[in-house]
Order: sequence, then structure tokens, then C-alpha cells
Amino acid sequence: MSGTCFATDFWKDDARRKTWEQIVPGEPRETIPYTLTLDAIQKYCRVVGDLHPLYFDQAYADNSRYQGLIAPPSIHILLMFACTPAHDWMRSPGTVNAGQSWSYHIPARPDDTITLQARALDKFIKKDRLFVVHDNVFFNQHGQVICAGRGWTIRPF
Amino acid sequence: MRQTNTRFDIGHQVSGTPFSPTRASIRQFCEASLDFNPLHLDDEYMQRDFGKTHFGSIIMHGMNNFGVITKMLTDWLYAHGGIQRRLETRWKLPVKPGDTISPAAVVTGSKDSATGRWLTLDVRVRNQRGEVVAVGQAMVEFPRPEDGLGTREQR
Repeated sequence: MSGTCFATDFWKDDARRKTWEQIVPGEPRETIPYTLTLDAIQKYCRVVGDLHPLYFDQAYADNSRYQGLIAPPSIHILLMFACTPAHDWMRSPGTVNAGQSWSYHIPARPDDTITLQARALDKFIKKDRLFVVHDNVFFNQHGQVICAGRGWTIRPF
Repeated sequence: MRQTNTRFDIGHQVSGTPFSPTRASIRQFCEASLDFNPLHLDDEYMQRDFGKTHFGSIIMHGMNNFGVITKMLTDWLYAHGGIQRRLETRWKLPVKPGDTISPAAVVTGSKDSATGRWLTLDVRVRNQRGEVVAVGQAMVEFPRPEDGLGTREQR
């Protein structure tokens, strides 16, 4: 994956992560450019059981309206973690995903260099739970918006 | 890419492929998504209470469910020249190894625009007990043929 060594132990950097109290709505999150490989796309697709030829069959994809292989819209699931560092607060153990809303413009493609603009947008207490709302915009190497989305997470105490 | 009937009426139903997570598939989703939260890996950790919630054992990633819903929408859309434009979801109940979840959607509205026909859909995902584990709304577009992708993508 473009030489990047991804963190797999979410406890390792936990002391460095912002707690709910420390998260500042509006403050940008640190992000990292990421080169999306065909291998990474297809690994994700196989896991969710999505073997559509637009993601696997070069000849089929070349003859489609997309004129080449693409990633499925939900590839932002991978990009969210690929484009943020190990100490990002989204990796806090116990973070529960309450819901997400995503809007799609153009597909991500193999070998795209993806950048992310992300921030906490809101935080609140509801039913004795700590929530943080985050928003995110993914761009390709041409500066085009791939997708934009917002998520509601319940933060660990 | 086939262009067939894109005038789906309100009430048109779409159903997706059932998905049965296992401990292995959840681990694989960790690796494919880079989301190694202990919620999905560590049974001992999951004996804790999470606020008022007690899961009791590992749970499938909510975003795996998002991927299953997306597959349902794109399998339908690609076959008819459509594009997934929006998906909003709320997770209602946890999904655990051994469960089987099945997504379904129904067209609730449509609007013709300068670029194509837009539809809205309500989404429901149920487990094998018929319990609703996720709800959502989707928006899809069937571009006019002359608009190609319906976007101005730079290649």
C-alpha cells in the first residue's frame, strides 16, 4: 500500500489521542495523502462480497461508461483510516459508529492519490452518551471531489 | 452498460444479497478497512459496558453493513445506467458473527432535473430474526444518456 505501514494496534497510540473534552469542533484533523491501489480496492470488495466486474474486469470496465476500473462508492471506509495518522481520535478504542451520511460525485480509481480534508464538526451529550460529529471531503490528484460525508460517533468515556 | 427502464415507480422494491459475518470476515474487514478497533476483535474488551450499552461480544463493523447496502444499490444501478449519489445510515442494533443480514430498499420519490432523473429510497437492513439493524435513505441518479457520467470527471 504505497509503502505506508498502517497501525493495527489501536491501543498503542491511545494516550496521544484527543479525548471528547479535547476535541474542538471546527478544528481540522491531521491527514495524510494516500495512493489507492487496485489491490486495496479488490481486498475491500472481496470482504463485503462485492465482485462487480467494474472493480475486477479490466476489459469490462474499459468498455463501460467509466472507461476503466473504479472503486465502489463505499471505498471511503478504507480511505477514512488510510488518510489519517495512528494518533487520530477516530481510532480511540471503544468508538462506536452511530450513523453516516455520504454524498458521491465521481468514482475513486486505482492509482488515484487521495487527499482528505476532515474536522470535528460538533460534539454533544445525548442520553448520557458523548457524541462527536465529523465531516470529511476526499479529493483525487486533480483536486476533484470524490465524495463528502459526515458521521456520528459515540466516544468512549 | 445497459440502459433499460429508469422510470422506476414509487414503491419499486430493491433487495440485496444476504451477508453472514463470521469472526474471520470481521477480521478481514479490519484488514481491508484499516479499522482495528477492539470492538471488532477483542471479546474480553467487549465484556465492558459502553455507556448504557453492553454488547457482550465482538460486533461487525457498522461500515461493513454500509458496504452491503452499497452493493445492493450499485448492483441495481449499474445494470440500469444509474449512479449512487447519496447514502445515509443509522445503526439500530449490533450485528454479530452468526447473524445473517439482508438489505432492502423501496423507491419513495423521484424528480426530473436538467441532468437526469433522481430517485430517493428508504433502506432497511434486517437480521435473520426480522429485527431492523440499520435504516437509511439513499439518493440515486439516472443521467440523461448525452451526459455520460453525469459528472465532469478529468481523466
